[in-house]
Amino acid sequence: MEENSQSREQVPAPAHPENGNSNLEQGQRHANKGQDSLAARLTAGDREAAAELVDIYHERIYRFMRRLGHGRQLSEDLTQETFLRAWRHIGQLRDGKALEAWLYRIAGNVSKLYWRSHKVKELTGMESIAVPYTGEAGHDIIGRQEQLGRLQGAVDRLSWKLRQAIVLHYMQHLSIAEAAKAAGIRQGTFKSRLNRALNTLRRYVS
Amino acid sequence: MEEEKLKELLSEVAEQMAEPARPGLAEDIKHQIPSRLVSHAGGMGSLNIIIDLRVNRLVAAAIIMVAMILFADLFGRQHPPGDNIFQDGMMLVEYVLGSNVGRGGLSALRSRYERLMERGEEVVYYGDKADLGNGMAVLLHWKTSDGKYRVVFGDLSERTVSPETLIRLQAHMLQEKKAK
Repeated sequence: MEENSQSREQVPAPAHPENGNSNLEQGQRHANKGQDSLAARLTAGDREAAAELVDIYHERIYRFMRRLGHGRQLSEDLTQETFLRAWRHIGQLRDGKALEAWLYRIAGNVSKLYWRSHKVKELTGMESIAVPYTGEAGHDIIGRQEQLGRLQGAVDRLSWKLRQAIVLHYMQHLSIAEAAKAAGIRQGTFKSRLNRALNTLRRYVS
Repeated sequence: MEEEKLKELLSEVAEQMAEPARPGLAEDIKHQIPSRLVSHAGGMGSLNIIIDLRVNRLVAAAIIMVAMILFADLFGRQHPPGDNIFQDGMMLVEYVLGSNVGRGGLSALRSRYERLMERGEEVVYYGDKADLGNGMAVLLHWKTSDGKYRVVFGDLSERTVSPETLIRLQAHMLQEKKAK
């Protein structure tokens, strides 16, 4: 199931800082080149490039919205809104290499504006946790399910900024540099935010 | 708990928190690609800066209003292609007013209705009768080139919907009116 869901995210996940082998670096260079040319076509007003942008990133942005705690329907709406704003403000995209971070930044702002204007916090239902059968003994499965449930509850309780940091780096697998760009902050600030988030989660879960 | 264990669990939670997107979602989004992608560098950026700096809402409102007046003067009281300034203004109104959409939002919507009318769009405005702040109430809708409808709701959110959905929304509004 994990394999299936990953294969549907059409762009290979960016190299994680820890995975610095040459294949990944080469893949990353190709991805950057692709992003560069896509960004150039977008800023030139190419509608086909806009459609390509949707094909490549809609899955990621949708999942980002879901992981930020929005419901299914709302995540679809907010994904739609993210692309609408991206096209409307295509002139702000100056650095082609930062295309993905730029899109995540717009998505983050769309989500943040939604939370601010809707004070009642919408939480992802705990029923969405479904632990696949892994051949473990029954008590192990239950123990793990409880642990995952507690962790998701803890992520839900994080402040928006801390949650964004966790989602960008550990769930969307952006590198520290990309995630910091996506959050619109310096790398140092992002790292300290990430540490605070991890400490909070650790307290809740253990 | 060890850091590695926590990271491993987070990765597992991530997979379970988000199912794949609906297959038709990409096509729905593509239908909304504007006929002309305008390279416009202003607007959202300035608004984000204001929001990110956490400026007092009234100060932010004042800044944007002054900016809008300046832009309006600059363009001879006409709006540039793409309604970008208008969209940013609406975002600000949403931000300033929160969920309480007030007279500011309504009057901006009214001007938008008038502009769409001038452009000869098939537009319907319910603003005078509609339920402000209600995310299910339709305030304004107009037909798009692909036969769908762009709808502005009572909470000033916007969506593109099919004709069938619009009929359902209108029926829902009528039922709510009857109930009152």
